[in-house]
Amino acid sequence: MQNKPKTKLQSWLTVPAILIFIFSPVMSFSSNIQLSASVDKNELTIEDSIELSIKISGVRNPPTPKLPPIKDFIVRSTGTQSSTQIFNSDMQVSTTYKYLLTPKIEGNFIIGPVRMNLSGSNYQSESITVTIKKPNPIKPNENRSVYTETSISKKTPYINEQVVYTFKLFRKIEARNLNLSMPYDESFFRKENLGKAKRYSRVINGIAYDVDEVSIALFPIKIGESTIPPSMMELDLIHRTQTNRRRDPFARFFNDPFFGDVTQNKHKVLSTKSIKMNTQPLPKKGKPSGFKNLVGQFSMTAKVGKESFDAGDTTTLTFTVSGIGNVMDVSLTDLNLGDQFKIYPDQPIFTKSIHGNQIGGEKIFKFALVPFTTGRQTISSISLNYFDPDKNDYNTISTNPINLTIKPGTGTENLNLVQSKVAPTQQNGSTISILARDILPIHTHVEDFESVVFDKNRRIMYMVGFLLPTLIYLLAAGYIRYNHKMNDDMSYSRRQVAHRKAMKKLDQLSVSNPEPKDFVRELSQIIREYIGDKLNLQGTAFTSKEVGEKLNKNTFADDKIFAIKKLLEKIESMQYMPVLVVKDHCLIDETAELLMYLEK
Amino acid sequence: MKTKKLFILWAILSTMLISTSQVEAQENDISSQITLANEFYHEKNYQAAADIFEKLIDQGETNGFLYYNLGNTYMRLGDTGSAILNYLRAQLLLPRNENLDANLRYAINQTQDQLSPSRGGLIPSLLFWVHSINLIEHFEILVLLNIIFWCICIGSLYYRKSLWKSLKKISMAILLLAFFSTGIKYYFLSKHKIGVIMDKKVDVKSDHNTQNVTLFELHEGAIIAVNQEESEWVHISVSTDKSGWIPIKSIDY
Repeated sequence: MQNKPKTKLQSWLTVPAILIFIFSPVMSFSSNIQLSASVDKNELTIEDSIELSIKISGVRNPPTPKLPPIKDFIVRSTGTQSSTQIFNSDMQVSTTYKYLLTPKIEGNFIIGPVRMNLSGSNYQSESITVTIKKPNPIKPNENRSVYTETSISKKTPYINEQVVYTFKLFRKIEARNLNLSMPYDESFFRKENLGKAKRYSRVINGIAYDVDEVSIALFPIKIGESTIPPSMMELDLIHRTQTNRRRDPFARFFNDPFFGDVTQNKHKVLSTKSIKMNTQPLPKKGKPSGFKNLVGQFSMTAKVGKESFDAGDTTTLTFTVSGIGNVMDVSLTDLNLGDQFKIYPDQPIFTKSIHGNQIGGEKIFKFALVPFTTGRQTISSISLNYFDPDKNDYNTISTNPINLTIKPGTGTENLNLVQSKVAPTQQNGSTISILARDILPIHTHVEDFESVVFDKNRRIMYMVGFLLPTLIYLLAAGYIRYNHKMNDDMSYSRRQVAHRKAMKKLDQLSVSNPEPKDFVRELSQIIREYIGDKLNLQGTAFTSKEVGEKLNKNTFADDKIFAIKKLLEKIESMQYMPVLVVKDHCLIDETAELLMYLEK
Repeated sequence: MKTKKLFILWAILSTMLISTSQVEAQENDISSQITLANEFYHEKNYQAAADIFEKLIDQGETNGFLYYNLGNTYMRLGDTGSAILNYLRAQLLLPRNENLDANLRYAINQTQDQLSPSRGGLIPSLLFWVHSINLIEHFEILVLLNIIFWCICIGSLYYRKSLWKSLKKISMAILLLAFFSTGIKYYFLSKHKIGVIMDKKVDVKSDHNTQNVTLFELHEGAIIAVNQEESEWVHISVSTDKSGWIPIKSIDY
């Protein structure tokens, strides 16, 4: 038990020491701190990548070293390794930072020295020279383990014509961590995705390949020559090499690839060739008026919600445009129905769909129609022009006219909508035609122009509005609580009114004219009643000595007890004096002062 | 001593009188300027009317009808962008004015992009009344509900009955909702900046540099959300998937 403080002290010293040992970056085990940089290979092709290892030895938890600018490579950190080795009681620690460098261009490059600052000392590694060569030319019948291809559906498309850009990865060995980048010039093309990548098998020259295919739809938005930059596929190829099982009885016993195979990852970056395109303008010949740059193959239907309805009721006119191409660009604004109907257009809804390897979809336009007049109305056919790149010609599609029957309202109410200027068919109503639309007039009531500012006065007003009710509530709560206590707690109420009651009686005594003996008795009674109220005592028959004891029990200060005892003794002595004392105002004042003093 | 008191009283009264008369004179001057601007508008002297309305706004006058009238004047002058901007400013102060809504709709219909102001996300949609009540009204309602809540609290102190307790709980829930609603309104007004394109056509770039790729185009009067300001460029968004950078001089907010 006596050793406990010592143990506690030891733990207090040991724990911080361990923590400092673990986390201190400058705690070195050897004064020989070394920084070295190395690569796994110095010569490689543009399709390969190199691993740069930066080893810092002689220090635990070193700061991250600063890499030199390596603008011709894509640099990616692949992790950190730490190791601790003990040789003959000599501890050696090292940390290795690993980076994967993927070349962007061919040539000879110098990776500059890696630097590190540790406690004011600078450390740096040697420079490394790396040669990036062109990949070996691929012979047509060469047996390659992995290669890529890109293609486009058309090299001279029309503006807004859909071009399918396809990337294919052919591989006969396992690949992981695939990362594809298919850049395109956003100022020349608008891109739409064509769904998920497809995976299938294909036999080329008798060799089975797994093919991953990704396609995107590009819509040229500018006329002229453009280039689709090379696509890049980054991946890790998994090479499996079999160990000699005949010599390894355990591998033969298990006969499992997990025990028998050795896998080796090889990071590769495969890039394709850039593709040139020449976007042509649409032919001027035969271009219909009102053509709105729709290119593809489209169809259009029109239908109404109900063909027969009452005046004042509405029907929904729905146009559906579907097909392959830039369906999303379809707009229907000129319906030419303004004379017959009040039209409330709804927001068009576009639904994308993939047709084979092309993008298309359906765009639905809805209009709520309120007829101006009753009788038989016809929604004339609506036309849509588009350019068909397969036929190299413009095409126009139209909807069928739709006949509507508008019955007069069931009540006596006449149609009072804005009426057509064409057919004033109402028998007795005035006919109003919409000639133009305009903004509503300005506001002219000058008294409404009072400035509305969130200024200081308004803020003060809001603050008062917030705080005042709270304050009133607190006051009310305090008052109600006081009242409840006064009613419920007799000792409390007696204590609270004791002084007021005594002072009132003293006032009455000062204005009355009693006999001298009665005056002194009355005064004594007032003081006793006061003490009785204060201490919640029944009756007033107690001597000055008893008063002292009771006050002392109730923790009254000694000077207060002494003063009250003194006054009571004085009054008692006067009561039994043979000579009669006349009414003494000084005694009333003295009593009043004493009561005031006791209240403090 | 008496003379000194009388002098102080006289000085206070005369100062109050002078300041009151100054305020009245100022109010009269503003009213007369508004009347004059309205007359200019009716006489089709729109530029003179716009100048007066702009001057009053520059002087610190903040009134929904002032912005509304200025918006109308810009519509007459053919400046749809400025008109929409002033209608939007007016809408912050007059969220339930039908004439203003109609004119804003009309102005948006005149633009090429026909973009309507964003209504915010899920929370403003749930608190559907937030857009129909301006910030000052929010605060006034909040103060009123606060007074009602505390009055009910005082009542429940006097009348200790279950009805008063229920009333207290209900009023507290309403007060908390009003607090939340006012907070949302304040947040949207301070964080959710809405701007209007002032140039005839603006290329929206992928980054704040003219060399960058043009993502899409916007035209005069397009209403956009302003996200970030950086040197001479602002990052704007039209929808969740359409955003980019435009020069600050092409926009007003």
